[in-house]
Amino acid sequence: MSTRVAQAELVSSQGHYAGSVSRFTAYAIDLTVSSVMFSLGLAAVSYVAQVVSGHSVSWNRSNIVVAICFAVWQFIYFGYSWAVSGKSFGMAVLGICVVRADGTTVHPRQGIVRALVFPLSFLLFGLGFLGILVQREHRALHDLIAGTAVIYAWDARAARLRFLARQAELGLPVGPAPPAAGHEGT
Amino acid sequence: MPHGRVVRRRASFATSDAADPARGILATVNPRDRLRSVGRRVSDPAEALAQQVAERVVPMVVNALDVNELAARVDLNAIAGRVDVDALLKKTDLNALVARLDVNALLDRLDVNALLDRLDVNALLDRVDLNPLLDRVDVNALLERADVDAVVRRVDVGAVVDRVDVNDVVTRVDMDALVENTDLGAVIARSSGGMVTEALDAARSGAVGLDQFVDRWVARVIRHKRPWPVAPPALLARQEEP
Repeated sequence: MSTRVAQAELVSSQGHYAGSVSRFTAYAIDLTVSSVMFSLGLAAVSYVAQVVSGHSVSWNRSNIVVAICFAVWQFIYFGYSWAVSGKSFGMAVLGICVVRADGTTVHPRQGIVRALVFPLSFLLFGLGFLGILVQREHRALHDLIAGTAVIYAWDARAARLRFLARQAELGLPVGPAPPAAGHEGT
Repeated sequence: MPHGRVVRRRASFATSDAADPARGILATVNPRDRLRSVGRRVSDPAEALAQQVAERVVPMVVNALDVNELAARVDLNAIAGRVDVDALLKKTDLNALVARLDVNALLDRLDVNALLDRLDVNALLDRVDLNPLLDRVDVNALLERADVDAVVRRVDVGAVVDRVDVNDVVTRVDMDALVENTDLGAVIARSSGGMVTEALDAARSGAVGLDQFVDRWVARVIRHKRPWPVAPPALLARQEEP
């Protein structure tokens, strides 16, 4: 399959249910970002406590308070992102977003519910995530409970035009013509 | 019977006539010639009189005739229906005809709209085999002689544009070819081709490709009978809209 045809297929995938790799990668980015932010937050709190009390404060990750704070932070991070815009930072990077099951814009309450029930998918060795692979709408357990789905939302058509423009500017061949343009875009 | 008697009498006269010695004189002097000469004396003056009457009456009739009214009452379609156009065209040297034709002068004098209103063009065209006609026409020569600018000046471009579905035209534009073959591609590349954008495009494209790869393998393992929906109903309906 040529690069150009692959690009055309990407354009036709816009608005479709997002697959497991995109979603897992987005979550990995979100987990990294939120963990870094949490660590920075802890460091800031330690610094302030040290300045105020004059004693150095060290945080142990196995500490129950820290674990609870981390869980709350995760809820805030994901809940706020999904409720406000339907996408977290990692999802924005991967170009995917949360919508209602029928494809319309997600309601803030659904975003919060999704963040609340998100940990349930980790139970039973992460079987809740199996729905992303085997459920016909690629919906995980937390999606089914919150009535949401995840779709590709990035502007693949603009990306394709950028790709063609770069190829044209570099004078590189781009292969045969793509399938009918009528199926492209949303 | 009297009729039978007359027939017999005529037969006997003919028989005696054949045996008559004066038959040779009658053969050279025909008695009908006298009648002919009398008729000629009467018919010649009558013919002259008729000629004079005709010479006076015909111009008067022609002057009294409203040719435009007459032309208006002529059913052009009926006449066209009776003409064997193909046969007529086969016999015509169209190139010679076109060469002698002052097309521009003809176009200037012609009220095309009025003519077309009166003519059933479809019926006429149905009867014409255009292909051999076109084969015989030297289109280049015809176009060289036509003042296309004058024709274009007479066209109401605004009305033509009003009838064009611009949206339909835009959807038929091959954007890929446009970007590849024009400076538009360079403009797009320069305006939006940052490193971050390029990296994002690459990451997203790669992720979607891997998604599709995984989905294909899962589909092979599960072997679901019905095809799965590719998008939520609202987005699917939007995609199917023309």
